Amino acid sequence: MSVPRFVAIACLVTLSGCSGIEPVPAWERGYLADEGMQWQANPREAKFEGHVYTSKEASSGGAGAAGGGCGCN
Amino acid sequence: MTSLGHPQQLLRPVALIFALLLGWSQLATAATLSDATPAPEFTLPLVANGEGDISLLNLRGSVVYVDFWASWCGPCRLSLPALDTLYREFGDQGFAVTAVSVDVVEEDALDFLKRYPVSYPVAIDKTGAVPRSYSVNGMPSGYLIDKAGKVRSVHVGFKKGDEAALREEIKALLAE
Amino acid sequence: MQRGAAVAATNAGASPVAPTPTPRKTPLLTALGASVATLPAYQGVLADAPPEFTEVGLRYSRYSEDNLATDKFIGGSRERYDIDVTQFWIEAPVGSSWSVALDVQNDYMSGASPWFVGTQVNGQPGVIMSGASIQDNRVEVGVTTRYFWADGNAGFNITQSKEDDYEALAFAFDVAWNSDDNSRTWSVSASNSNDRVEPVDGNIPVFIDREDLDTQSLYFGVSQILSRTAIVRVGLSYTQSEGYLSDPYKLFDQRPDEHQRSALTFGYRKFFTDFQGALQVDYRFYSDDWGTDSHTVEAAWHQNFDRVTLMPYLRYYTQGEADFFGVTADLGADFYADDFRLSSYGAFTLGLRSTLQLGDWQIEGQLERYESDNDWGLYSGDAAPALVDFWRATVGITWRFD
Repeated sequence: MSVPRFVAIACLVTLSGCSGIEPVPAWERGYLADEGMQWQANPREAKFEGHVYTSKEASSGGAGAAGGGCGCN
Repeated sequence: MTSLGHPQQLLRPVALIFALLLGWSQLATAATLSDATPAPEFTLPLVANGEGDISLLNLRGSVVYVDFWASWCGPCRLSLPALDTLYREFGDQGFAVTAVSVDVVEEDALDFLKRYPVSYPVAIDKTGAVPRSYSVNGMPSGYLIDKAGKVRSVHVGFKKGDEAALREEIKALLAE
Repeated sequence: MQRGAAVAATNAGASPVAPTPTPRKTPLLTALGASVATLPAYQGVLADAPPEFTEVGLRYSRYSEDNLATDKFIGGSRERYDIDVTQFWIEAPVGSSWSVALDVQNDYMSGASPWFVGTQVNGQPGVIMSGASIQDNRVEVGVTTRYFWADGNAGFNITQSKEDDYEALAFAFDVAWNSDDNSRTWSVSASNSNDRVEPVDGNIPVFIDREDLDTQSLYFGVSQILSRTAIVRVGLSYTQSEGYLSDPYKLFDQRPDEHQRSALTFGYRKFFTDFQGALQVDYRFYSDDWGTDSHTVEAAWHQNFDRVTLMPYLRYYTQGEADFFGVTADLGADFYADDFRLSSYGAFTLGLRSTLQLGDWQIEGQLERYESDNDWGLYSGDAAPALVDFWRATVGITWRFD
């Protein structure tokens, strides 16, 4: 799969998903407030996980973190 | 799987998505109740500090603060104690607080009240009809209503320091 | 529904990160790991209100790599790294619109590290390890201040990391704001890190005195509430580094002095009211100018009980090898490396996380297993003998007060 096609699909999915959305009223956001619905409920865990994966894998950025750096190779 | 190319190639189309998304940030703002709008009437069942129903109409003649809150709302941990302080301070001078929990599960609201007890009446609206009639756009949302039943100010969210500002508003309305 | 979860005033679930139980920011840099070296830009935050409480937390993690298999081993010590990580933080609201957080982390590491890859008597590649006596201690201190207004917040972070042979200083800035109906949240962040390595000539001979590395990172993200129970996020990050990017503790490691990385991320959360639990799915596509692409998929189920949450999770990762990677380094090339981290492979992580809420206290525990194998990858490329498997366990306690 080429990069443009990959991105095009991501665009379509995102945009088609977003265009016809009814805003959720403020008083109906209880489920969205649940801990399990957060992108990262625990920043310190995210930091730790980022540490591990970026020092053991080649990738960084995005949802993970970034790498190199420490002498933890 | 083949190589997917260079970051630069990836960057360009993605930048486009974001441009599109930004452009699409239309979505009309819900109209909010403004100055001197008559406060929508409601009658709701009480879950704390009272029996039966509470009706806004019965409070005509008092300065009323209608507070929409939820157990899952962070700033409500500040707003409930602050409102309780104001209620204790001005309750005997014609100031009333009517809290409306928008929790779907009543027990969640009661558990929250155990941790943050208040002395003013608390009602519940599991259907969302009342917050809808007030065009609530955040949690908590408070509506300060004058003796004539008109909304005089709207408070969305709650921060430290808001209590002092609210006290001045209440004093002014009580003096009218 | 899980009590204690909370969102701020107007933007409820729009926030990419509105953790439990109080909304707090995601420190930019601190979301970053080890090195301040490359910054993750991001994770938006959110909450358009400062935390309501002061929070103090302490966490201890033990990371332990399996010994190198005997059939992949030529010499040195088979005992690979063990790392003890201690994290302490305190975060407090300041005035009506600010918060400040202090993060301190200490890593103590011991064990042996792959030095280079050679050929065993049977013709198969094998690893020459360092001696087992490597020890290192790293201390990282970060301060984050954050300002909140009605529709968003902005944070600034400074983090310094120090160990015997490595120092890094990083700055990060991030902003997140909501659409008028609070259904959509945009996040932007930028960061800069200056690193300096001065290798210690201990049990591995090194050939440099002192080298520098500069890294800049940018992130854009947008999250959108889809319904009362679903939210989606798309993000893009770009990172560039210039300077010394080789590994001074490997015998054959000569890398370009520039590295550009991009990542496209996609996240989805769905709450199932019948089960009182949430499904979490995250995907990342990564591509860099060293020829490596990767895919990461993570799925988790977050189950609420009365005071307890349980979260089993599974992660799959696969990457293609870097252009200059060789199972044994090609010393005739301009750039070369035999580092297993630049090889083609696939890896699985399986873990379980749990929290227990007791009034103002929260206790957490987590256990996970990571295993990697060349055969599990989606990309072609020869197997590096030093691929790593590890266990990780974490315990932590958090206290919140007015």
